[in-house]
Amino acid sequence: MLFSLEEVIETISAVGVETFDIRTISCGVNIMSCADSDVHKCAEKVYEKVIKVARDLVPTARILEKKYGIPIVNKRISVTPVSILANAFTEPTAVPIAIALDNAAKELGIDYIAGFGALIQKGFTRGDQILLNSIPDALCSTDRVCSSVNIGSSQSGINMDGVFRMAEIVKEAAERSSATNGLACAKLVVFCNAVEDNPFIAGSFLGPGEAEAILNIGLSGPGVVRAALAGSHNLNFGELSELIKKVSFKITRTGELVGREASRMMGIPFGIIDLSLAPTPAKGDSISDILELMGLERTGCHGTTAALAMLNDAVKKGGMMAATYAGGLSGAFIPVTEDAGMCRAIEDGALNIQKLEAMTCVCSVGLDMVAIPGDTPVDVIAGIIADEAAIGMINHKTTACRLIPVPGMKAGDIVDFGGLLGKGPVMEVGRHSPSVFVRRGGRIPPPVHSMKN
Amino acid sequence: MNNNKEQVVITVLGANKPGILAGITRTIADSNVNVEDVSQKIMQDLFALMMMTDFSAANCSFEEFQNRMQTMGDQLQVKVFIQHEDVFRYQHRL
Repeated sequence: MLFSLEEVIETISAVGVETFDIRTISCGVNIMSCADSDVHKCAEKVYEKVIKVARDLVPTARILEKKYGIPIVNKRISVTPVSILANAFTEPTAVPIAIALDNAAKELGIDYIAGFGALIQKGFTRGDQILLNSIPDALCSTDRVCSSVNIGSSQSGINMDGVFRMAEIVKEAAERSSATNGLACAKLVVFCNAVEDNPFIAGSFLGPGEAEAILNIGLSGPGVVRAALAGSHNLNFGELSELIKKVSFKITRTGELVGREASRMMGIPFGIIDLSLAPTPAKGDSISDILELMGLERTGCHGTTAALAMLNDAVKKGGMMAATYAGGLSGAFIPVTEDAGMCRAIEDGALNIQKLEAMTCVCSVGLDMVAIPGDTPVDVIAGIIADEAAIGMINHKTTACRLIPVPGMKAGDIVDFGGLLGKGPVMEVGRHSPSVFVRRGGRIPPPVHSMKN
Repeated sequence: MNNNKEQVVITVLGANKPGILAGITRTIADSNVNVEDVSQKIMQDLFALMMMTDFSAANCSFEEFQNRMQTMGDQLQVKVFIQHEDVFRYQHRL
């Protein structure tokens, strides 16, 4: 027999018991060919192009789910940053493009469509300004459109005017979606060192250096790692790392299979697998639970950053060999409301926003799905974004903020966003103001790229 | 050797009782799916069966075969999994 019964049962129970799934298959679509000075004509072209290129994505994913017995939870589309097209618009709005993207997503049965964004790490173009001004409207008048804006990079430094403007936009988007607890902000990411091939929402977009169309894969799998670690109390760090690497290899390999096969069926090149552990609110599908199984009483206690660093590195090492091309964000995600274990750690007083920030130094991707009090001033939000961007800029890694200032809520309240976005406590933020600093204007210069201490 | 084989792994898990193997293999035969290898164990009172089959001459679609097997599994009160062999090959073999 080609496989042992034990191997087959291991694969089956990874899905049935340990909640393993392919988190997303994301199809990147280049929409630069849709350029038009008339935003409405451009929107029509965008709709048609997305429909044409990604028509087979959902049917293909469904066939592969059946064929391999592995759920593919999300089917997503990313497009070229819309700000590039917005440069040509006579009318200063990009909202019709967001609506066209939303309609295309609904027509195709796509969960989320992303790329309503801009790259402003060094400055603003007219198109960037149009796009940024359109974000709150776009997110509040669509259901499936996601937006991301890159405000810094290790090469360019941090565009602090961009940081401040994004803090204003976060605040405005939250207030305008107060009926859904600021849900618009769950679809908005502010990046430093954004990557061009990220399959994960909300920060996905098809970078200008990418091909005409591409398929990228994102994995889930914390539940599988957790199950493997369940009997690991006596292992030393080397052995623990080996165990995580093996599990990571197997789950990444499954992503590689699905990516290759989807690429063959759709006739679209297979881009990358994102070697990330993405949690879900489902019981046991938690990064925090893994950290606690590694020996922490609660996530957030001293030692958490070290545990996360080791986990993150082992996941990459195991996954790297399983994937032809690794890319995207590749690291353990720690979105707060999407991870029930993280929420418990906050409620128990073990984890706060400062420790969370420290954790983002060693994993992807940043302060993700962090609910903060609705009355948090714009200056403080700008300070949080700037800190996170500085970590990314100095450490040559991607960092991001997906902050939700929940209207009417204060620290300790519980907010429920529903579905994969989960529910969790509103986190306390610092009370002192960075107002003078964040309003200085201009750009924090890029760091020196030698003398790396 | 038939290079056009489409190898599908059938796994059956459930409480042991008479007739499981008979019911499962009858549905497989009715679908003209060829059994190439069988491994079966009782693991802690759990009936565990795995079959390597060739699906290439089947008289129905893959989805229809899954539905037929599912119906039989429900009758026998066992869980039936029908998966293309690649998923196991990718995970367990270099």
